[in-house]
Amino acid sequence: MTPAALRPVALIARREFAAKVKGRAFVVGTLVVLVLLGVYAAVIATIASGEDTARVAVSGPATALTGPLERAAPTEGLTLTVVAAPDPAAAEAAVRAGDLDALITGDPVRPRVFVQSEPDADLERVIVDATSVVARDAYLQGRGVDPAALDAVVAEAGPAVVSAEPPDPQAGQRLGLGLAGAFLLFFSIQTYGAMVAQGVVEEKSSRVVEIVLSSVRPWQLLLGKVLGLGAVGLLQLVVLGGAGLAVAGAAGVLAADAGLISTLVSVVVWYLLGFALYATVFAAAGSLVSRQEDTQSVLSPVTITVLLGFVVGFNLLTSDPRGTPITVLSLLPPFSPLFMPARVALGVAPVGQVVLAFALTLAFTAAVLWLGGRIYANSVLRTGARVSLREALGRARA
Amino acid sequence: MLEIDGISKRFGSTVALDRMTFTVRPGELYGFVGANGAGKTTTMRIALGVLQADAGEVRLDGRPLDAASRRRIGYMPEERGLYPRMAVGTQLRYLAELRGRSASEARAAAERWTERLGLAERRTEEVQRLSLGNQQRVQLAAALVADPDVLVLDEPFSGLDPMAVDVMSEVLRERRDAGAPVVFSSHQLELVERLCDRVGIVRSGRTVAEGTVDELREASGTELVVVVPDAPGGWADGLPGVAATRAAEGGTVLTLADASEPTLTGVLDAARRTGPVHEFRRRRPALAEIYRDTVADAPREPVEPGVAA
Repeated sequence: MTPAALRPVALIARREFAAKVKGRAFVVGTLVVLVLLGVYAAVIATIASGEDTARVAVSGPATALTGPLERAAPTEGLTLTVVAAPDPAAAEAAVRAGDLDALITGDPVRPRVFVQSEPDADLERVIVDATSVVARDAYLQGRGVDPAALDAVVAEAGPAVVSAEPPDPQAGQRLGLGLAGAFLLFFSIQTYGAMVAQGVVEEKSSRVVEIVLSSVRPWQLLLGKVLGLGAVGLLQLVVLGGAGLAVAGAAGVLAADAGLISTLVSVVVWYLLGFALYATVFAAAGSLVSRQEDTQSVLSPVTITVLLGFVVGFNLLTSDPRGTPITVLSLLPPFSPLFMPARVALGVAPVGQVVLAFALTLAFTAAVLWLGGRIYANSVLRTGARVSLREALGRARA
Repeated sequence: MLEIDGISKRFGSTVALDRMTFTVRPGELYGFVGANGAGKTTTMRIALGVLQADAGEVRLDGRPLDAASRRRIGYMPEERGLYPRMAVGTQLRYLAELRGRSASEARAAAERWTERLGLAERRTEEVQRLSLGNQQRVQLAAALVADPDVLVLDEPFSGLDPMAVDVMSEVLRERRDAGAPVVFSSHQLELVERLCDRVGIVRSGRTVAEGTVDELREASGTELVVVVPDAPGGWADGLPGVAATRAAEGGTVLTLADASEPTLTGVLDAARRTGPVHEFRRRRPALAEIYRDTVADAPREPVEPGVAA
């Protein structure tokens, strides 16, 4: 590869970059995503900090539940207000009107709980706790045991945990960072990979590809396209990621430390690798069709695979980041770019695994570049009907 | 000098080119004519490296074409195409740079050609917003903007209005006069006849006739037009050296088997015997007639699959 051969690649990359970044779609799209991310963060913050409150009324013998209810509520994270209801009928009406969450009447051990439709899960647990306490206390008192003394003894009990590796105080931050990284990578690869395919199809459908290919080799066009759009994607990744980090930093949920820097570096490195991989696949897929309407049909096998992998991996990552399934997934080349940076951020990926995943992905990407370049070179000048994979894989032109 | 030397190409079981051969000399305007599917577009695509030949070679100035020398060729593909959402000026500069021009050369050339082709007002407009005629002009500018040493144009006149045809003809002549080999294909045979220094007629992927229009006329057999008002019908039938006669062009057209002196004398004597002779001349067939004869002459022989491979 001589410098002279790389000049067209640079020209093509520059054109792709300029055409996209100057386009209104990019600016508006980035702003919209920024706003959506902001709204999403605000909603999450509201939900996380939102107080879980409930108001219940007690009447008759069930009034004995007042104390146990009030003591049980904090253990379920519920702020509970217990009021006495002298008039059960009025209280039922208040439940129907939504002013009360529940009316508790009858035997304190087996009370009748009247609710609008079904009780809030936390509230139900609080009531169950309270009734068990009442039943237990009655049983203990019947046998001459002071329930308060028992509680005091039980409160003293408990193990002393000694961990070989102390837990990371920033585990939450790391998880958030890892998930955000995985999401941004997924988003960028899907968006800009599809853009590569669209660009390929546009050149085919407008026939300009014949003029371009009379000046440059197919690999130069393909490489230039992937580099140009990859740079656009990277720019957006940096803008969105930077905005996210700035917001998180301002909100005080993120502390800058060595872990943060290494996470950012690994996200960028994996993005570059992942983009090269997927963009080539998308370009090859795009070169099989000649009309924009047909693009979706050749892209969906790829996008669906990525989407499924992403959904499965995302769940595994949140539930069990050290488990075997996510470890395997993050070692498989097509998914490594999505999940290895997240596992690095979580600090659960041994160096050996990272190196292995990197090597596997590099090898896989090289194979995809070779194969995709061949499909692309064979199909990009064929117009009309969709080119079959078999034809596309035939003898490549030099 | 652009030499197409024995190139063959097949698509599956279809033989598109069967040892296609012709040469375009410097300062020569070469017309490339043939029916649809005769192999004109395939030949041009191979010359530009857009397709690869199964056999044969394309040479420029004696050296096989490679990626670098191909950039010296200005190309107008049959399937017109430009980036629809790119502005005219930007697009021309980009295409010139892709063909190896520096940024400043590309800028100057884009300015010059848009000016020349009457597109100066449209430089900043997106190609998709232009009229079809103006898009064609941009397409021509795209072929010329890299200041090529050779021009290869596939159907450059199709879809042009008469004004644009004049501009196109002028530009082609100009490039020819500047010493460039220029080759274009066309179905507009009277245009080819008027413009071209030499013509190649292709059929079934092969050059079947090649030469100046006059040479092709010589080769196509000699016809005489004789106007003898008082002659009875069939007066020339059976004269020695006359292959066929027909009534046309206000008199009788004789197709001669040989154009020798005795034949001509014999015909003239026979004509005089019928009365006054108003006209006695060699007929100059139009290229269109030569083309029809050439293409009709040789029946389509089946091409053996082994030949092209």
